[in-house]
Amino acid sequence: MATPLRRRRAGVLTVLALLATVAGCGGTAAPATTSSGDTLRYVSIGSPATASNDPHGGLANESDALRFALTYDVLTGQGPDGRTQPRLAESWQPDPTLTRWRFTLRRSAVFSDGRPVRAADVLYSLRRIERKAAENYGRLAAFDLAASQVVDEHTVEVVSRQPFADVPRALESVTFVVPEGSDDFTTPVPGSGPFRLVSSDAQTAVLERHDRWWGPTPPLRRVEVRVVADPQARAQAVLSGQADAAASIAPTAAKQAEGRGDLTLVRRPAVTMYPFVMRTDRKPFTDPRVREAVKLAADRPVLVQAAFLGYGQVGDDVLAPVDPSAPTGLAPRQRDVARAKRLLAEAGYGNGLTVTLHTTTSYPGMDTAATLFARQLAEAGITARVKLNPPDTYFTKVWAKQDFYTGYFGGIPFFDVARVALLSTSPTNETAWRRPAFDTALNAALANPDEAARNRALGELQRQVRDEGGYVVWGTGDGLDLTRKGVQGLPTGPGFARLFIDQVRIGA
Amino acid sequence: MMLRLVRAPLLLVGVSVLVYAATEALPGDAADARTAGRATAAQLAELRTRTGLDAPAWQRYLDWVSRLLRGDAGVSLLSDRPVADLVGQRLPATATLAAAALAAAVPAMLALAWVAGAPSRTGRIAAAAVTAAAAVPQVVVTAGLTAVFAGMLAWLPPVSLLPPGGTPADPRALALPVLSLALPSATYGAALLRGVVADAAARPYVRDAHLRGLPRWRVAVLYVGPMLLAPSARVVAVVAGGLVASTAVVETLFGYAGLGELLTGAVANRDTPVVQAVAMLAAAVVLAGLFLADLLAAATDARSAPA
Repeated sequence: MATPLRRRRAGVLTVLALLATVAGCGGTAAPATTSSGDTLRYVSIGSPATASNDPHGGLANESDALRFALTYDVLTGQGPDGRTQPRLAESWQPDPTLTRWRFTLRRSAVFSDGRPVRAADVLYSLRRIERKAAENYGRLAAFDLAASQVVDEHTVEVVSRQPFADVPRALESVTFVVPEGSDDFTTPVPGSGPFRLVSSDAQTAVLERHDRWWGPTPPLRRVEVRVVADPQARAQAVLSGQADAAASIAPTAAKQAEGRGDLTLVRRPAVTMYPFVMRTDRKPFTDPRVREAVKLAADRPVLVQAAFLGYGQVGDDVLAPVDPSAPTGLAPRQRDVARAKRLLAEAGYGNGLTVTLHTTTSYPGMDTAATLFARQLAEAGITARVKLNPPDTYFTKVWAKQDFYTGYFGGIPFFDVARVALLSTSPTNETAWRRPAFDTALNAALANPDEAARNRALGELQRQVRDEGGYVVWGTGDGLDLTRKGVQGLPTGPGFARLFIDQVRIGA
Repeated sequence: MMLRLVRAPLLLVGVSVLVYAATEALPGDAADARTAGRATAAQLAELRTRTGLDAPAWQRYLDWVSRLLRGDAGVSLLSDRPVADLVGQRLPATATLAAAALAAAVPAMLALAWVAGAPSRTGRIAAAAVTAAAAVPQVVVTAGLTAVFAGMLAWLPPVSLLPPGGTPADPRALALPVLSLALPSATYGAALLRGVVADAAARPYVRDAHLRGLPRWRVAVLYVGPMLLAPSARVVAVVAGGLVASTAVVETLFGYAGLGELLTGAVANRDTPVVQAVAMLAAAVVLAGLFLADLLAAATDARSAPA
């Protein structure tokens, strides 16, 4: 999800990080709130200004999303192998047209106030998510929920707008189910998930195991979710023993934690990317030769090292490289300045080309990547003026509007990438990739019931965008979580999988 | 006296208009922040209608005022939660922090001003040091203190997380944020007061008292002290204002869940009702301080010579 975390990263914070590093950060002076084996003290991201109790909104606050994943059931989830697995829905069955899907709910599911979970609750929740589409990026836009219906107490029929073979995956993780009729979320509404909320204040939500949950008994009895906005402070909370786990720390803090035998760094591969985005309908990027030259100018390993401090993988302009549909057997993109110059000359820019590259500080390393890329472009004869924009308004004023800028994707499946950015009808088609043939091929691929064939077809579409589109995907960054040694089972899957920490355990 | 009673509320209204206008002047609004660039124009328009953002700024301001007069601070434009809840949850943490910092800063400020105001070599060196220290930015002070006390010495925790339910159980968790706030405030206040101390010490009757052989403490308490009372009170009020403003930086750096952190996020998201509520609280504290300082000045006026 491309939700801008409003992260303040004043240059002076670097001073703090540096000083703290120099000082060695012994930090054994934690207040004595040691945790026993069945309580997890988890520090998460969040801004108090966007904190919400509504699981159907934008989920802009990571700490809220984590709390929802613990307190609400979802229809389907993601297994450790990355495949869709049953959650509240124990099974599902499509009709032959692949547009009507029947989900059978677990009979033993109950809300924490004792009421059973019924198909009506599920349908109500799905419809509420659709109603809040403006805030949740049209999360369920692929579904016709007015036509969807309750079949019986424990069966709900979900209707997709097109034949769609991946419906269970499209419903993964975000289909938080609330009791039918819940519409006032100023205070938390009961859920049927593995934990229940016992108290919450400005910083901490305390959750205790929901003993009537249908699933495997969580090893933890209690989870304390604390919100800390500053990434350095989150890491410090674990470094100093005040927390057992911290989500999404900055690469600088990860470096600092390396070599500490009492800590573990959990890497979630390929969860962020800051591709450089070129609008293919505006000069000079209308010319495919210019786009290729820009792609050839990128020194990818150097960018990954600088922006992610090496915590990441070099990219090949493939937009969803860890998706099962990622194309294989491609020749890796190598830097070729000479060829880039030739292409520019052919395109009529032999005497140089000047462009503006926008960037911001919403996520760590975005500004570094743009500054460094501008230098690499210069070697190929492209003068890129870097414009640093305030993070507050980047995603409304620059993103999906400017010709050339530093974008963001958060490890979402390829069909979601396509939905938000690559269809002729996508409201945020940031590269102006409008090809009716692509739309048709995508719909055909999504309707293909054979998984291998479907992934091959989607892979071919990924390859097309890679070779002809306006994205320079120079690398992907790992999500970095820091834990005390002994904390086991933090999810490492992409997307929302990170939120489902109900099977985490604390060992010796 | 009447004038002062009227002045404080008028100033408060002035501050509310200024803060409102400043938030309005920032590019983008809460609907933009809430949808983060993904919504269509129609969806944005619908959201603006629902949250009242489609009305002109002056009308929204008047709405806000009339609601506030009825005791309703409104709801957050981001999360629809009542502003009173959001502020109420965080007020105790910031009040504790600011009060502790002020309690540490005021004696330190007076002591520093006293030393730096002395007409001696020590005094001149102290004056230079105080002026220099007052110029160090808040963030640098915080970073330095963290590096020394949490890093090298490992005496204090580098972050100040609150236990579930409220104020820190372990006072050590408050130590670094309090120090970070108190140190710049004390030096800044001392730099302001130093001149007053020097002036007072140079008065003929003070010199005369010294020459008559009165003990130094007696001169300090009976001759110099009363003259410093009113200016000190004013400086304390000003310093308190700066200190409250600095909580925004310090709370963020220490992960301390207070109002400063809330204000930072609310400004970034253009959540006007929340910005207004926090700003009004801070302004009310400063104005109350200045009002008290005025009262104190009026009470001591008869005894002190015109400064």
